[in-house]
This record gives sequence, structure tokens and C-alpha cells, in this order.
Amino acid sequence: MTNYLAQFQAIKNASDRIVVAVEDVSELWPIVKEKFEEKLPFKKASLNNKTRNPVYIENLPAEFILTTDARLRSRVPQELSLFWFREPYATIILVSCEDLDEFKTILKPRLKLIVQNDEREWFIVFVSKALPDNDQATKLAKKVYSRLEVDFSTKKRERCCKFDLHGNDSSFWEDLESKIVESIRNTLDRRVQFYEEEVRKLTEQRFMPVWSFSNFFILKESLAFMFEMVHLYEDALREYDELELCYLETVNTSPIKQREFGGFDHGDDQAMLLKPDHKPLTQFIQNDSFREFEFRQYLFACQSKLLFKLSRPAEVSTRGYSFIINYSKLLASHENDLPFCLREIWVITACLAIIKYTTFHYDGGLVTAEVEKEFYRLQGDFFSLSRVKFMRLAYLIGHGAEIDKSPVNSAELSMLPWPRPAVWPLVPPDVSSEIFEKEKIMLQSNPTAEHFGIQRKALPLEPSSLLREANRRRASLSTPNLSDLSDGRQNLKDGSGVGGSSRFSPQNKERSSSMPRTYSSPMNIESSHVVLDRPMRLSEIQVASEHALKKTLSDPDLWTSLSSKQNFEKKYMELTKGAADNYHRSWWKRHAVALDGEIAAVYFRHGDFDLAANSYEKVCALYAGEGWHDLLADVLPYLAECQKILNDEAGYLSSCVRLLSMDDGLFLTKERQTFQSEVVRLAHSEMKNPVPLDVSSLITFSGTHGPPLELCDGDSGTLSVTVWSGFPDDIILESLNLTLTVTFTADEGINAIKCSNVTILKPGRNTIILDLPPQQPGSYVLGVLTGQIGHLRFRSHSFSKGGPPDSDDFMSYEKPVKPVLKVFKPRPLVDISAAVSSALLMNEVQWVGMVVKPINYSLRGSILHIDTGPELDIKNSQMIEIENSSVFVQDSPNLVDTEITRNDANLESCGNHKRLVLENGKIELPDWASNVTTIVWLPVCATDKKLSRGTSAACPQRQSVLDGMRIVALKLEFGASRNQKFERTVAVHFTDPFHISTRITDRGNDGALLLQVILHSQVKATLTIYDVWLDLQEGFEHIHKDSGRPSSSFFPLVISPSSRASILFSICLTNMVPGVVSDALQSDSILNIKYGISGERTTGAHEPVSESSDGSKVELHFKSAIFLQRPVLDPCLAVGFLPFPSDCLRVGQLVRMEWRVERLKETESLSSTGNDEVLYEVDASSENWMIAGRKRGHVSLCSKRGSRIVVTVTCIPLVSGYVHPPHLGLPDVGKANIRCNPPGPHLVCVLPPMLSSSYCVPI
Amino acid sequence: MIVCVAVIGQQNNPLFLQSFTQEDDDLKLHHIVHCSLDVIDERVNNPKRSGIAVNEAFLGLLYPTESYKVYGYLTNTKVKFILITADPEVRDADARNFFRKFHVAYVDAVSNPFHVPGKKITSTSFSRKLRSIVDNLGSITTV
Repeated sequence: MTNYLAQFQAIKNASDRIVVAVEDVSELWPIVKEKFEEKLPFKKASLNNKTRNPVYIENLPAEFILTTDARLRSRVPQELSLFWFREPYATIILVSCEDLDEFKTILKPRLKLIVQNDEREWFIVFVSKALPDNDQATKLAKKVYSRLEVDFSTKKRERCCKFDLHGNDSSFWEDLESKIVESIRNTLDRRVQFYEEEVRKLTEQRFMPVWSFSNFFILKESLAFMFEMVHLYEDALREYDELELCYLETVNTSPIKQREFGGFDHGDDQAMLLKPDHKPLTQFIQNDSFREFEFRQYLFACQSKLLFKLSRPAEVSTRGYSFIINYSKLLASHENDLPFCLREIWVITACLAIIKYTTFHYDGGLVTAEVEKEFYRLQGDFFSLSRVKFMRLAYLIGHGAEIDKSPVNSAELSMLPWPRPAVWPLVPPDVSSEIFEKEKIMLQSNPTAEHFGIQRKALPLEPSSLLREANRRRASLSTPNLSDLSDGRQNLKDGSGVGGSSRFSPQNKERSSSMPRTYSSPMNIESSHVVLDRPMRLSEIQVASEHALKKTLSDPDLWTSLSSKQNFEKKYMELTKGAADNYHRSWWKRHAVALDGEIAAVYFRHGDFDLAANSYEKVCALYAGEGWHDLLADVLPYLAECQKILNDEAGYLSSCVRLLSMDDGLFLTKERQTFQSEVVRLAHSEMKNPVPLDVSSLITFSGTHGPPLELCDGDSGTLSVTVWSGFPDDIILESLNLTLTVTFTADEGINAIKCSNVTILKPGRNTIILDLPPQQPGSYVLGVLTGQIGHLRFRSHSFSKGGPPDSDDFMSYEKPVKPVLKVFKPRPLVDISAAVSSALLMNEVQWVGMVVKPINYSLRGSILHIDTGPELDIKNSQMIEIENSSVFVQDSPNLVDTEITRNDANLESCGNHKRLVLENGKIELPDWASNVTTIVWLPVCATDKKLSRGTSAACPQRQSVLDGMRIVALKLEFGASRNQKFERTVAVHFTDPFHISTRITDRGNDGALLLQVILHSQVKATLTIYDVWLDLQEGFEHIHKDSGRPSSSFFPLVISPSSRASILFSICLTNMVPGVVSDALQSDSILNIKYGISGERTTGAHEPVSESSDGSKVELHFKSAIFLQRPVLDPCLAVGFLPFPSDCLRVGQLVRMEWRVERLKETESLSSTGNDEVLYEVDASSENWMIAGRKRGHVSLCSKRGSRIVVTVTCIPLVSGYVHPPHLGLPDVGKANIRCNPPGPHLVCVLPPMLSSSYCVPI
Repeated sequence: MIVCVAVIGQQNNPLFLQSFTQEDDDLKLHHIVHCSLDVIDERVNNPKRSGIAVNEAFLGLLYPTESYKVYGYLTNTKVKFILITADPEVRDADARNFFRKFHVAYVDAVSNPFHVPGKKITSTSFSRKLRSIVDNLGSITTV
């Protein structure tokens, strides 16, 4: 059956659409052909797929072929059911007849003959040539057609249709198309069934010896091709899939035939993945042997063709990638036999072809996002795969220097095995010049310039030493021992190769990249003649590979790409960019960005630093973002170099800082020092656009351990901050500022504090002291650290957790915000009050105590301003004392003892007591007093020029307390910088020692008066009275005309605090000459008291302060004015009101009013006048009273004492009610001399008059 | 031959990477591990398409290249384990088993009270334990 392959191929090539046969019985085809062919392809066709489900196909192409055509005639029907797919799917029998008889006699038998025993799907098209206006002809045609229908159509199936050549034909074409499609469908069903049956049969015979894959292949492919012709691509694809599966099973399970693999033809290196017709089938199918190399590609090509027709380019990619991977493995297993590097070249061409075709067919519409991503990812994979293989080829032929030894390339190349030809290609003769050229290139190629002096071992691009691999393969066939020996020597010498690298330490390995070059030194160049037993040099290997590759490689473009350095780089960039772009589109950002780095490396080499920097930035951002510091450390120096060259100072600085903040192990100290020196150099240079530099990763800071610094409102202080420097060396900071942020408040919460000095940060931990100005109350955390290195401002946001700068910053947890400073809300910090509340002595120098009480706050260095108010002076500013209040508290119970024992000397010595000097109204508190409550004693004297006045005991007039009040204004400046102020005005109460009150206790008949002077002690101190005397005012005198001193035996008289004592003076009145105005001095009596005081200043009044205290008692003198008043009442006459005779008074009733006047005393003045008559006068309201008799007159009254007379006046009350009664007055006698006894009533009740009955006549 | 194992944190940051090659070329392994995160991301985002069961930690073969294979494993806490092997044939069951042991070792390592979660694992005993697990797997696959 394999003989049919050529035919099969030819048939397949020839027929691309289904055939509809036309049996032209009545020679009509030339007339209708055009119209028929116009209707192609069929608009809509409903066909059944392999599973008998209807499928609608649009625009089904077909071809009308006359049965008499050579194409159909030449075929022998049924000869090869294999090729049945090309047979007509329907037969149209074209007839025309205008005569019934003719039909019956000639046409019908002929038609019967045509349709008889024929499995073809046929139907008859009756063409009516009758013109529309020719009724007869039309009728006739109708008759013939109806006859035709009767004869050929059955109930089940209409097999006739009528075509009016000149009539309306729209319905006909629809009818025709449906009939053709119906025929096609039936034929297709039958044929599918047939093929399936055949396939089934063959499958059953699968494991029999007679079974042949080629039969199966032709059957399957025929079926698939048939499906493809009728546009049932899904079914066709399934057939190819099954075919492939079956092939793989056959290949894998039947080891019977040692098949030829293939791949030796010219051009086989180029993948024919998408070109099914690339090679004729006969070329790789011979004698039932399918060359796997071609056949598998052929199957894939057929599948992908169908997939493209199904608009599924993404699936081509998916299938293509796994195909390439598997196929590559297949090629690897045959690598020994295949041409040198065929596998690599094939993979490159296959990938590029798939990329080209899928991109062409992919329009991106109507696919889900996932499919789109997958598609681009696969495109990226293709680019990436071809890139790797391309690099491998380039490396083999000596373009290794152009390949960046980056992690990407190393990962891809160093784990990819070398090509494994049976024998490594030999150096062709006459290539010494090429070898020389290669040597030269190798010697000239400079190792890539390392930036910042970073010395890194280059990553390997070779899986094992090429030198060893090539020589091993070359020699393995000839003199294995010798080559092994020389190889071994070589290995020992250069330490390269698989064995070598595994045995040797990294130090040895470091030389592996450079050693091949030293080995191929110019010394050996002369010996260009290669002998078999001499190991090849690297240059020779490269030249040999190049020549071998040239033989294998049939694609001129690819060869061009490999031929020169420039072309290599161009292609390399194209592939890398393609991969990167597609990975970007597929969201494989890591793959993409890593390739961006490769692109950047090329730009960098070419001096396109701008583009390089852009790409490097992306790479660095990715690595930094996810914390891949090892990878970042590889790329960042390049970025920095780009930025340096581009003069991007800000970028360069930030790169340097990032380099510095990398993990310790990634760079050597020397390298880190270089980074630092770069930063410092730039910082001190004149930058055009100075930008703040973020050094958060390098300089971190935290508060010191322990509780936060606590300050009171308004206080300044110093804050100690730990700063960690990640710089390898000391670094000088021109300034350093730190912001403090208030926690829990959003607004205006940031204050900057400053360390103005130049700071030198050591590597590692530093403690910085910052001055803290007064802050608002609140809790503060550290905010941002800013500062300056040279002209460069920097800032750091990161807190350290007590360790070195944290490089994994992106991972850091929520940082614990520990307050470093707490500023308390305003609160009383100190209190100043008067030490003693009781009164002090007026007009004497007294100690005033001011208790200064710090409230949990140090008063160190504080200053007290003292300002005394009016009428208060500080006496002797040298003598201000301060003492510890606790001493005062302890001492207070035994006041007397301390009073006795205390002296200045021992107070000085006890340390809690000190004398202070008042300067400009202020004193400075001693340091020991900063935390304890102290009392400041001020010697003051309150002056009161007024003389104190005694009061009458009968009507005591208390002195106003305010009179003794004096004011001391105090201002305390305290706090760290005396920023705190405390002001207080203290009232001090001063008073006289005594308050004097007097009263006359008794008076004698002789006019002597006993004057009692009561002394009230006003102070909380014991007063001792030594002497008292009274200077009397005019009008009074002491009885004995003496000085009025009380008996001296009473003195000294001790008066306890707040008690009273009294002294009696006997005085009498003196006659005063009326009208003589006495002196002011003599208007008051003056009481003089000589007294002493013994009191404690801590309780109240005390002995006056004197500088020279010799312990002797001081006598004090107190004066008080007492006003004595002469007696005012001297009654001579007494007027008494006699009671009314009747109980009630009535209006109009006569009333006798009687007053008794009695002489009480015989006055000299009265007697001297001799007048014994008394003038009287009755005073009454005329509205109320009518007085009968004399209202005024003289009555005679004997001048003797006790004589009396009664004055009677008759009155008539005029109004009723309570009225004032008439009053008897004595106009001649002064009021002071009249005594009313018994006194008259104030009001009397007057009743209304009695009712008169005479006017009351009863009715 | 197992080339490298790695632990990757939740934020895709490397927590631990140990290579088992004799050569000093960890950087390329860093690259491979880093790139494999693309595949893990994709698998995790499209579990249905990738055909992983929801509760399955083992992600299977992440991507095969001609020269090495990368396997992945995702813990419940989104910590990833990566295994790079140069063996042409590794059974899934072996890889799964390896990762299970790896996971246990990891849990032990991070249970150390001195380990800061999310920071690099510096434990030498973890490293030793891993080496023994790797050696075990190596002996299984070579047998």
C-alpha cells in the first residue's frame, strides 16, 4: 500500500474541495455552467460530523465537474476506496425535453440507465427552455417535468427540480443547494462510515505481523483530509491526533525495525513544523518505515494547519512548546548520529517559526484574559528557548565574551549540556589564520570593567569546561588513554572541567574562566597543525565548531546572525527583547524584568546609558521590592554606574545608599568604603539640584532604653537618641535634626529638635544628645531624622529595634511606637505660702516665713523675687534666712527649747539653714533646697503711724483686720532654664500687741470713777508687762494727782496668748471751763505699756529682730489712746405722767391729764438764780385734741430737792383711734436735766362717742 | 541530583536558600527560584486551570527546562518551598514526600523562639536537617 503514497500525495495536492459531478444528458452544461458556478461556494451547509451531530458550515467550497471530464473519467471507480474522498459527493443530471414522447422513449431509459446500480447521490435538474410568453411550450415542459417527477422522485426523497432557463429562478437555487448539500451529507456519512470501518478493521489487526502503519496512516489521513475538505476541521484534527498517538505507540512499542531516524538531508536543520508540504511524503516514508524526524514534524504541521483554520493560534503555541521540548529530547537521544548542533539549530528555527506564524494568526480577539496571558507567556518561552540555544551556538564559535555572565544567562547556559556529537568536529585544514584571529580576539577582550572595585567571580556559562568536553569527544574514538592523560594534566593545571570543579575549592574555581585563555597563549599559535593526539586548544575548538556549524546550518539568516559580533548582538537583542516583551504581556514580571536586565547590559556595553539606566531601575525595583538582595547586589552597581555617567546625582546617591544598606555579606568592607566615599564626595561637591536623600535603610534611630523622658509643661531638656549608622566608616554629619510627633493627635503635632553641632557617627551604635526646647503637653514619639552631610540633606524614617539598620525594611512589622518624651499638662510645680497665719507685731521687725514647697519638681537654681507692698519694709537685707521645713515641723512641739538653744552658729552648721542675701529684690535658693520644702524667713517691719485706740467695753468696736494686712509679692523663677514662673502675693497680718478697752466700773458718791483698762493680748505669744501708766486727757485727773501707775508690785504681769488682763485706775472729773477748746493732744488719754514678748516666729509674733541678739530681753513700748467722756446726764426735774382716771377715753368726753413735776436736785445754778417757777407747755396735736385751759404757763415749784407739783390740763379727744397723747414740756430746762418718770404713754386709745338713743326711734 | 532548595516568604522574599552544588554560583539559583515565583503566582491565582486541588500544598512541577526542573510547594501561610533538581526523572510522589519532610523541618525551625517570623532563617540545624532530607531523596532517586 505504500506504493500509493505518491499517488495519495498527488491526489491530496490536486483536490482541495469537494466535487459535484454533472451528468450532462441534454448538452445543457455550457448554457447553465456560469449560473451554476456563480452559486458557489454553498452559503450554508448542514453536515454531520464524525459523531453524527449536525454541524453548520458556511461557504462550503465545491467544484462542478462534468462526468465526461478527464479528471473523473481517468479514475477507476472502486479501484481504491482509500481515495474515495476525492470522488464526487453528488451527481447532478441535467436534462431537458420538450416532448413527452421523446421523454418516454429516449430520455427515460437513458436516465434509468444512469441512476441504476449506482451508489452515487444523484438528482435530476430539468431545464426548461420554454420562454415565459410561450404558453404551450411552458405547459409541455410542465407535463414532461411532472412525468419526470413521477418516474424518479419517491415519497422519501425528491430527486427532481426544475430550472426555468428564462424564468424566475430564486426558489430553484435554494432547492438546488439544499439538494446538493443533502447529497453531500449522505455521501459524506457513507464515506465516513466506510473509513471508520476500515480503520476499525486495521486497529483490530494492530498487533498482527501483517499490520502496517502506512495503511493505517493513509486511511486515517484520507479521512482527515476528507473532513478538512468539507471544513469539518475539528474532526480532521482529531484524526491527526489519533494518528500521532498511534504513531508514537508504534514507535515506542515496536523495536522490530531499526528505523532510520532522518535529519541528514540538507535543510533538515530548519524545522518544518508549520509546513506540511515541506517534503513529499515519499521522501520520508519508505517501505513502511516512517522517518521519525520528518514524520513527527509533518503530523504537527498538519495539526497546526488545522488549528490555524480553527482560529486557535494559542493552541498551536501550547502544543508547539511541548512538542519542541519533547522533540528536542528526541533529537538529543539521536545526537550522536545527527549533524553537529542540529538540535540547537532546529530548536531555534522551530521556535522562531511558531512565533512568526502564531503572531500572524493571533488577532487577540474573542479570547479570555487567561488564554491571552498564556499565549504571550508561551511566546516568551519560545523567545527564551531560542535565545538560550542561540547563545549556546554563539558561545561555541567564540562569541562568549559578548554574552553577559549574569544570573539569567548562567542559569540557562551552565545547566544546559554541551552538544554531544559522536566526534567533536575536527579543525579543517588551512584555518590557521582563523585560529590566530580567534586567539587575538580572546586576548583583546577585556574583562568587564567592575565598578566601585567590586571583585566578583564571574558566573559560569559552561556546564563543564568546553575544552575538556571537546577534547574528550574528539579523542574518545582514537586514543582514549592519551587524551585522558593530557586532559587530566590539563585539568590539574587549570582546575576546570566537571571533575575538576567538583574537586577543587572555590579559589581554584575562580580561575576557571581565565585559564583557558592562558592555556591558549600565543606561544602555541605556531603549532596550528592539529595532530590527533594533541588536545585541541580553545580557539581550535571554536574554529572547528564554526566550520561544522556552517555545514549544518542551512538558514542563511541565522548564519549571518552568528557570523559576526555585531550581528550576534543584534539577534541576541531581538530575541531577548521579544522574550521580555511577551513575558511582560503575560504578567510574568520576574522573567520579564530579569531579561530587561540583560537588555540593559547590552545597552550599557554600547554606551546607551540612558536606556540601560531605565531598564536597570526596573530590575532593581523588582529585586528590592521582594527583598532579593543577592540578585540586587549584582545589578545595582551597574545602575549606579549608569547614573554616575548620566550625571544623575540624586539617583546615584540613592543607589550608593542602597548599596551601603545591603546585607553585610554581600559586599566587602573595602567595597562598602568605596560606596561611602562616593556619597561623601558627592555630598561635599557642588550639586546642581540638591535633593534630600532618603537614608532610612542606612541610618536608623530609636529612643534610648528605659522609660521616656518626662518633662513638665514649659520645660526644656535634653533628649538622648540612639542612632545606628550603617556606614562602614565614621561619617561626619554637619547637622542633625529630629522631629518629634505627638501621639494621638493629628494636627500640629510635629516639632523639630536640633543637634546643631557637627556630629560624627561611628559605624554601629551612637548616642546623640539633642537639646529639647519646651514642648506642648503630650506624649511624643520620634518622627523623622534629618541632617546634612556636606551640602546634602538627608532624611531617615526608620526606627531601629536596637539592632543594626534593618535591611529587610519591606517586611518590618508594625513598629512599636514607644514614646520617648512625655510632657505633662500644666500642674502646680511649687507652692509658696505664708508659714505663719497668726498676726505679727506691728511696727516691730518681725520674721515673716514663706514656705516654698516644690511639688515633685526640682527648684535647682531658682530665684525668688520679693517685693514688699506699701507700709512694709525688709529690714536688713543681709539677714534673710532659709531653713528646711522638716526641721521646722520637728521643732515645733518644743518651741521653747529651740527658742532657748537655737543660735545662728549651730543653724549654719546643720546644713539645712542658710543666710541669704537679697540683691535687687531677689534671692537665689541654695541647691540643697531644690527638692525639699523650705521656709524663707524675711525680717520685715510693718509700719502704722496711727496710734492705736482703745474702745469702750460697753460698745466694743473691733479694729478692722484689714488695717493690719500687709502684702508681700513673691515671684519664683525656676526650672532647668528658669523658664517656669510662679507668682504669689502673700498677705501677712500685723497687729498691735494689745487691744485696749475701757469701762467705768463704778463711781463713788464723791465723783470718783473707777476706770477699768482691759488689755486683750492679740498675739500668739506670751506678753510680759513691766509697766503701765495712763496720761489722762483734760477734764480728768487721777484721784491722787499721781502718775496713775498701778501698784508696782503687780509687775511684771504675764499675759498668756489670747488672754486678757485688766488694770483699774481711779480717776475723777475735773471742772472744765466751758467754751475753752482743749488741745488735740490732750483730747485723748494715752495708755503707755512697757512690755516684753516671748514668742516663736514659727507660731506668730515674736521678739523683734535685731542684728545683735545678746539674749537680753527687750522692753517694748506700746501706746494706746483712750477717749474718756465726761458724764452727759444730770437730771434736776422729773416729769411723771399720772394715769387716766377712767379706763377708756371717748371722743368728746372730757379728760383730765395730770403730770407730776418733782425737783430732784438742788442745783447751784438754779438756786443761784432764785427762780422757783417752772415754765411748762402742753404740746398736743390740734387735730386730735382740744385743750381746755392754759396750754402754757408758769407753775411755782419750791427749789428744794424733793418738792413736787401736779400740772393738770383738761382735754377733749376729737378723733377716735390710737393717738399721741398731749405731752408736757418744760422749755426752760435742758433736756439733759429732765427725767421722765414714770413716762407718759406713747399712744392712747380713744373710743368713738357713745351712741345717742334719742335719735333712735324704733319703727 | 538536587541542586537547590529554598524557602520563600509570604511577600515573595527569600527566607532561606541552600544549594547543593559544589560550585560557587548561588546567584543563578537565586534567579531560578525568583523566576519560579511567576509560575507559583499564576498557579495560585488560577487553581482550576492549573489543576491543583484547593487544599493541596504540593504545586507539582513548576516548569521544566531541558536541564533542570523546578518543583513548588505552598504552605497554608503562603510560605513557598522550591526545589530545583537536575534529575531527568523525578517521581511526583518522591517530590511530594520530600516537601512534606521539608515542611516539618521548616515548622521546627520557625518554632524556635529566637526566630523572627518573616526574617531569614539562619538556623544551622535546619540546614543540616535539610541536607539529610536531600541526601535521602537523592538515594531514593538514584536507586
